[in-house]
Amino acid sequence: MDAEPAVASRAVAVGSRRKPKAERLPGEARRIGYLYVAPAFILYAAFNLFPLGQGINLSFYDWDGITPGTWVGLDNYVEFFTEPAIREGYAHVLQLMVFYSFLPIVLGLFLAALLSRIRIRGLTFFRVLLFLPLVITDVVTSVAWIWIYDVDGPLATAMDAVGLGALVPSAGWLGDFNTALPAVGVFGLWGQFGFCLILFLAGVMKIPASLYEAARVDGANAVREFFAVTLPGLRYELQVVLVLTVIGTLGTFDEIYVMTGGGPGTSTSVPAYQIWSRLFRTGEVGSAAALGLVLMLIVFAVTFAINRLMERGAER
Amino acid sequence: MTPTTRPQITMNYVLLIVVSAIAVYPLVGVLFASFYPSGPGTSPSGFGLPPSLEWRNYLTAWEQGGFADSFTTSVIVAAVMVPASVILSILGGYAFATMRFPGSKAIFYLFILGLIIPTEATIVPLYYDVQALGLIDTYWALIILEVSGEVAFGIFWMRAAFLSAPPSLLEAARIDGASSWGALWGIMVPFAKPAILTLTVLVFADSWNEFFLALVFTINHPTAPAGLASFSGRFTTDIALVSAGAVIVALPIVIVFIIFQREFMRGMLTGAVKG
Amino acid sequence: MAQVVYDHVVKTFSEVTALHDLSLEISDREFVVLVGPSGSGKTTALRLLAGLETLTGGSIRIGERTVDRVAPRDRDIAMVFQDYALYPQKTVYQNLAFGLRMRKMPKNEIDLRVLRAAEMLDIGPLLQRRPGALSGGQRQRVALGRALVREPQVFLMDEPLSNLDAQLRVQTRSEIKHLQEQVGTTTVYVTHDQVEAMTMGDRVAVMSEGRLEQVGDPRTIYDEPANVFVAGFIGSPAMGFWTMRTERTPGALGLIADGTALEVAIDPGVPELPSEVVVGVRPEHALIWRENAGLVGPVEGRVSYVEMLGRETFIGIETAGEAHITVRAEPDVAVRPGERVPFGFEPGRLHLFDPTTERSIARL
Repeated sequence: MDAEPAVASRAVAVGSRRKPKAERLPGEARRIGYLYVAPAFILYAAFNLFPLGQGINLSFYDWDGITPGTWVGLDNYVEFFTEPAIREGYAHVLQLMVFYSFLPIVLGLFLAALLSRIRIRGLTFFRVLLFLPLVITDVVTSVAWIWIYDVDGPLATAMDAVGLGALVPSAGWLGDFNTALPAVGVFGLWGQFGFCLILFLAGVMKIPASLYEAARVDGANAVREFFAVTLPGLRYELQVVLVLTVIGTLGTFDEIYVMTGGGPGTSTSVPAYQIWSRLFRTGEVGSAAALGLVLMLIVFAVTFAINRLMERGAER
Repeated sequence: MTPTTRPQITMNYVLLIVVSAIAVYPLVGVLFASFYPSGPGTSPSGFGLPPSLEWRNYLTAWEQGGFADSFTTSVIVAAVMVPASVILSILGGYAFATMRFPGSKAIFYLFILGLIIPTEATIVPLYYDVQALGLIDTYWALIILEVSGEVAFGIFWMRAAFLSAPPSLLEAARIDGASSWGALWGIMVPFAKPAILTLTVLVFADSWNEFFLALVFTINHPTAPAGLASFSGRFTTDIALVSAGAVIVALPIVIVFIIFQREFMRGMLTGAVKG
Repeated sequence: MAQVVYDHVVKTFSEVTALHDLSLEISDREFVVLVGPSGSGKTTALRLLAGLETLTGGSIRIGERTVDRVAPRDRDIAMVFQDYALYPQKTVYQNLAFGLRMRKMPKNEIDLRVLRAAEMLDIGPLLQRRPGALSGGQRQRVALGRALVREPQVFLMDEPLSNLDAQLRVQTRSEIKHLQEQVGTTTVYVTHDQVEAMTMGDRVAVMSEGRLEQVGDPRTIYDEPANVFVAGFIGSPAMGFWTMRTERTPGALGLIADGTALEVAIDPGVPELPSEVVVGVRPEHALIWRENAGLVGPVEGRVSYVEMLGRETFIGIETAGEAHITVRAEPDVAVRPGERVPFGFEPGRLHLFDPTTERSIARL
């Protein structure tokens, strides 16, 4: 794009000396584009791109943030293979993905398919309600769920009422080694589901009715209809939601900080929390930087992989 | 749409109502809980209306949580950050949509990259950069970082909005004698008003809800969410009080959401699809 | 003196050549129509004149000035776009005034011009409305008005009537022409509609695939088309073409094809003709055969369609060799598809074209 190809024959151009680049419009100040983009780009480059380079540099050091650091080369990266805690963090995130990504998508698809068959009145009202969990600050929603999971909270009370009181963990769901992570997961499911449903519903509305009619004429029942018409029609939305939810899960931080602090123990540790913790708690700055960069690479790889996969599926 | 039977239609609405109720329940529950008597041990069970309306909780929470300060911080940060983000996005989006200059494609792709660079990747060096600039615990730290984070999306969004204008509109403006600046503010911005409004609303929500950055870069002057987090940490056993705090922090964004719901929907749905 | 000159203008887009070598001179106050099918380059030519595209080669002059590198705003031109391109958030008044405001004209002068144009176009009552509240025809007038108030050296019009319904089009056609005569501004008008071209242009420039096929006044273009393309493009229903062999005899030319032999009187002075020619005849000069009418023929053909238009009827005839000729007949003619019908040509109305170069050779 930078080098415009020299274009075809030129007859005499009155009054010009230099060969003008073919794409430049008469009288257009070409440079001005740079001026418009500059403020945004300078900020962006200074605080998003430049720190990337710094991060790479930092990641080769062992540093506590105060005293001078020491060069350790790739040690911080080797940790990925040596320190179980880091792998544990990613393992947790993978588990969370079931709740943050897989389940909302499946449920959203299912419900969207069901609901698409009728015209829904007052859809706006429902959309507002379903979007609320995502719109409200997640610190607030985390606080709400802390209350729900409390030993004396509504969930416990409800289970008590149906005689399952014995299953309630003594320290509440967030205080129990085994239930803390799934508890956070359910929180995520609750948050992401509405978005998925609305997005898929909107996508389904765009599928021309004639496709369904054709399928019906061909003798398809509801299930076949779903796989033959609905699912392919939602391909694009699926791709988007997949990318967004998976990437979002990889960066989970807010709710972990507020609800569990990574605990109990390390049962809800996640990469983003570990980064923060190493930066502010344990003084392992170099390691934190390395973790951050690796997280970014994983995000890139996953995005790329999902897009590739979905596009490949589309070609089939 | 298939012609369906009455029971099926009813079932569908019931389904919708159920999921919507689930979506809203925790929030409504917290709202109710905030009216319960404050103090440890009076944890609301969450299924009944509060016995009394303890408005006092809000006052206490406001004072104890230092929300006067944290709200001020959030408001100031948003008040500067939102116009700055939107204006920079308009300028950049306009340039990418209407002008041809060498390297524009490359620069645009660099911005796109920013859409997937997670904050975690840059937070560590950024902390020390900000510290070196002496900006820890200032409004400017948050403002600058949030703006630089938003422009990637904002430029992408505004470029799409400007591209949707018929080319003849800009051409007519040029023939009429408008400079690029004049055409932008006189013609293109009025044309893209809905998109700009949507962007503003989304950027505001991002700023108000931002927690991670606030946590890292502010200590004594937290924003509202950060203030709530520490408040919650201090009063873990006083559900009613903490709930009051939560409602306080949620209120502004809920109000904005209800007023601008159309813009929010448009933004989150189409923004996602375009992304 | 607002003359417009295209001087060997070339325009390419990546691989595609939109204009090969356009040279055209437009005189002051002239209304010239660039007409041709899509891809002919007519819109490109207009946009180059406007400065919305860059020249690849050649040069363009407006008045005495070469405007190759001059920005659109400084060329002293005004343009009416096909989609009108009205500023949606501005009132009609503001739309008209915008260009003048950009030039820092004093308020009362702007007012004067806007009101005058509004009066001329009969849009006075619409001045406070927004484009969204106007009908298509009204919007079109506003677009015209925007050009009028600028009082430029040249008007550029890019298919301004194509978005109007047929009836409105006819009415507006004459209004635009009338307006231009009143104001006297040189006008370059682009359209794909040959009727518009013929009725509006002082001169018509027929274009095809980036080349200027012929330029001249409507009468000349119609009666003396320079090549097959112009002959077939101008005139509706279109001219019918027939490839025939020639046989020259003293004083006459024999045209032979598909079992038909025609004889046409020819002046011995006419030079040597190729062995094959493409013969073109306009429908109004192809008639159902009548004895002793002095027609050239008869030719036999099978009727493929009959179009009754009320005032006249056009019969599509296919010869044995699959040449298609359209014949004009009285409205009450009783002919049906599938029938065989003899027809003939009015003498002196045959256009002969070279089969290879497609250029006009003679009219007999």
